[in-house]
Amino acid sequence: MKLRIKFAKRGVVKYIGHLDLMRYFQKAFRRTDIKVKYSGGFSPHMIMSFAQALGVGVESEGEYFDVEVEDGQDVSLMVQKLNEQMVEGISVKEITVLPEKAGNAMASVAASLYEIDFYEGENPISEGIIEKYNALDTLSFTKKTKSGESTFNIKDFVYSIEYISNGIRFTCDSSSSGNLKPKFLVDSLIRLGGKDPEAYPFHILRHELYLRKADGELAPLNYVE
Amino acid sequence: MQKLAIPESVLMSVEKPERYIGHEFNSVIKDKSKISVRFAMCFPDVYEIGMSHLGIAILYDMFNSFEDTWCERVYSPWPDMDKIMREKKIPLFGLESQEPIKNFDFLGITIQYEMVYTNILQVLDLSGIPLLAKERTWDDPIVIGGGPCTSNPEPLADFFDMFYIGEGETRYRELLDIYKRSRADGDSREEFLHKAATIPGMYVPSMLDVVYKEDGTIDKFVPKFPDVPKKVLKEIVKDLDNTYYPEKPVVPFIKVTQDRMVLEIQRGCIRGCRFCQAGQIYKPVRERSVEYLLDKASKILKNTGHEEITLSSLSSSDYTHLDELLNQLIEECNDKKVNIALPSLRIDRFSLDVMDKIQDIKKSSLTFAPEAGSQRMRDIICKGLTEEDIINGATMAFKGGWTKVKLYFMLGLPFETEEDIKGIADLSNLIAATFYDTVPKEERVNGHVQIVTSTSFFIPKPFTAFQWASMNTADEFIDKAEHTKRYIMGELNQKHIKYNWHEADVSMLEGVFARGDRKLSKVLLNAYKKGCIFDAWSEFYKNDLWLKAFEEENVSMEFYTTRERPDDEVFPWDFIDCGVTRAYLLREWHRARNGEVTPNCRRQCSFCGSARFDCGICINR
Repeated sequence: MKLRIKFAKRGVVKYIGHLDLMRYFQKAFRRTDIKVKYSGGFSPHMIMSFAQALGVGVESEGEYFDVEVEDGQDVSLMVQKLNEQMVEGISVKEITVLPEKAGNAMASVAASLYEIDFYEGENPISEGIIEKYNALDTLSFTKKTKSGESTFNIKDFVYSIEYISNGIRFTCDSSSSGNLKPKFLVDSLIRLGGKDPEAYPFHILRHELYLRKADGELAPLNYVE
Repeated sequence: MQKLAIPESVLMSVEKPERYIGHEFNSVIKDKSKISVRFAMCFPDVYEIGMSHLGIAILYDMFNSFEDTWCERVYSPWPDMDKIMREKKIPLFGLESQEPIKNFDFLGITIQYEMVYTNILQVLDLSGIPLLAKERTWDDPIVIGGGPCTSNPEPLADFFDMFYIGEGETRYRELLDIYKRSRADGDSREEFLHKAATIPGMYVPSMLDVVYKEDGTIDKFVPKFPDVPKKVLKEIVKDLDNTYYPEKPVVPFIKVTQDRMVLEIQRGCIRGCRFCQAGQIYKPVRERSVEYLLDKASKILKNTGHEEITLSSLSSSDYTHLDELLNQLIEECNDKKVNIALPSLRIDRFSLDVMDKIQDIKKSSLTFAPEAGSQRMRDIICKGLTEEDIINGATMAFKGGWTKVKLYFMLGLPFETEEDIKGIADLSNLIAATFYDTVPKEERVNGHVQIVTSTSFFIPKPFTAFQWASMNTADEFIDKAEHTKRYIMGELNQKHIKYNWHEADVSMLEGVFARGDRKLSKVLLNAYKKGCIFDAWSEFYKNDLWLKAFEEENVSMEFYTTRERPDDEVFPWDFIDCGVTRAYLLREWHRARNGEVTPNCRRQCSFCGSARFDCGICINR
C-alpha cells in the first residue's frame, strides 16, 4: 500500500538538514507498529521518497513524502500514531492512500506556494513594486552556475504574487526542470525598488506543494484524481 | 514559541547548526519553577562524540528521574561556533533550556581522555565561569569532574571544585541533598565543599594539601580538616541489574559517532593486561543478567527506533552468557530488521559463527589486538593471546571468506628489544602467509589478502602495573616506527601489508598528563590562553604552543614521561584508592620484569584488593 504523507516543519527544527530529516522519519516509523516495506538487497532500507528537499532554515506547512507499507493497516490511526512520535515543530497533517498507478512524489511536484516574512524592520517590497513587476514583460535574473553565468526571465517561473504587510506570498515553478529558488525572486523585487537585498533578511515559509492535474490546474500534492 | 540561545544569522553560518538547537526526541524538558537543582552535564568534545557516550546517557537519565532536578546536556562548541560566541559574547548554554550554564547549580564534566583538558577550560570560559576554582563564588555552579581520567585528577586540580571518583550511579543523590541543605542554611561555598568532601567517593582538591620533596616528587598529602578522609575510595555499583539504565535515550537529529543503541553487558574485565587502565579501575567484573539485557534492549529499540544494537564491554567474549544472550537478541532483532554489532570479541570458532549469523553478506574486516609482536613481550604485558590463537582464528576466518585483517600493536612497551619490534612485522607476514596456505587460488575472493598493521605508542597510566615504567621519548618512538616499517618492507608478503602509526607528539603530551601532578595546571592554563583547544583533533593540535607553555612555566615534560619511578615513590594519585592495591600492582610490575603471566580473575584470584567490594566475580567465580 502506497501512502503520501503530508507534514509540517516549523520552528527550530528548520535547521535540520534533508538527510537528517529522512533518518528522523525512518526512526519515527520504527517507534510505531506501522510496518513499512523494505527494499531487498545487501542493505535493506525503508521504501520512502521525499517530494523535495527543503533548504536548511526554511519552514513549511506543506511537505510530502511517499512510503510503502504492508497492506491491511488502519490508515486512519496512522496520523495519530506518528504524531505521538514527533518532536515539537514536526507534525503529520494528512495521510492519503495513493492509487497503484500514481506517479511518485518527486516527479509529481509542479509548484510551491511561499510566504516571505521580512523579520527585521520594514517590508522593502511595496504594493507599488508588485504593480511595477506585473507591468513588466521580462525581469532578467543572472545566476552563477558551475560553467559561468546564466540569465533567464524570472517571470516565466512565477505564477502569481500577492502583497502582504510584512512581505509577499507567491506561487512559482518547483518542478524538477524549472525549480525557482525563492531568494532569486525576492532579491529581484527588492532591487526593482532600488534597495539592497543584503539589508533585508527574511524568513521563508512554504505553505504548499502542488501537482498539476490532468486539466492543467494546480492542486495540493496529495490530490487524487 | 521555542527559543534558541544562538541567533539565526549565526546558526545559518556555522557547520551543522543541529549541534546547538537541542529539541531531540526523548530530550527532557521540565518546568523549572518546580526544580531545585539544575545540573549541566558536559562532555567536553564535539556533539557527535559526546552524544555517543553511554555514561552521560546513564547519568542524564538518573538525574532526570529525580523530581527536584533537571539535567541538561552541553558539549564543546566546534571552533567555528567557539569563535563567534567569543566575538558576540554569547554565553555557553544547556541544550534543553538554551539558558546560560552560569545560572546552573552544577556543571558536571566527564573526563574521558587527557586530550580534552583544554576543552574543559573552553567550556568554563565560554560559560563565563572563572577558570580557577578558588576564584568562584555562589554566582557560579559547582564544577564537578568524573570519568576515567579522575583516577588521576591532579593536573586539573586548580579548575575543579570537586571530583567524583568511580561510578556515578551511587552517590549523586546524597551530594544533591547536602547541596540543597547547604543552600537553605546559607552555608558558604567552602562550607558546602567541606561537607561534600566527607561523602564517600568525593574528592575536593582544595581540602587536600600536597607537600613536595626537593626533587619534585611528592612527600605527603595533608587533609585540611580532620574529617576529610586521607584516601578516597572509588564508588562502584554492586548490582548492575538493579540500577539506572536509560530506557529512553535521546535520539539525535544528526548522525553521531555511535548512531545506535548501546547495551552494556558487563562492567570491568577479568583480564589483567598490565598496560590497561580500564582493566584495573573498573574491577571487579560485574555482569548484567540476560533477562535484564533483553528487557532493556526491547524497550530501548521501541523508544528510539534505532536500527542497530552494539554490545558494550571491555571484552565481550568473557561474558559468561554470551551465547544465550546473542541467540535471543538475534531472534528479536531479525524480526525488527535491527543489526547487532559486537566489538571487543576474541576471534575463535564461536565468534566467527556468531558473526556469520549477525552480519550481512559483506564480510568486513576482522580485528586482532595482539598488542605486542613477540610471545616474550605478550607475556610481559600479560596479554593472554598466543600466536597459535591468532593463527587458528585467522585460518578459520579465511576459510569463512574474510580477506581483510586489522592488527593492533604497541611500540615502546617496557623491556622492549629489537626482536619484539621485528616480531610485529613477522606476525603480520605470518597471517598473510596463512591466507595463501589456507585458501586455494581459485577460491580467493579478491585475489589476495589485505593486512592493516597499526602501532600506537605505549603510554604508562596510573593504577596499572606499568605506572612505574619509563615512557619513550618522541624521537625513540619515531625511530621504532621506522624500524617497524623497514621490517615490514623486508617481509615476503609486504605488498599486502599496510602499516600505520600514531603521532608521537600528542602521545608525549598524553603521557605527561596521565601521570601528572598539580604543577601541570598552570601549563594547561598557559597553553589554553595561547589558543590550544580540541587537542584530540590533529587539525587543531598545536605542538609548538604546548612546548612553549611548558618552557614558560618552567615545567619539564621528561619528569613525567621518561623517568622510571622507584618502587616506593609516592604518586600524585596515591590518595585515591581505586580498589586494586598498590602492593598488587607492584607485584605485577615485578612479575612483568620476569615475564611471568598472571592468570585472569576467572581462573584464579590474584588478591588485587577488589574483593572488599564484595560483588561480581569476587563472590561468584
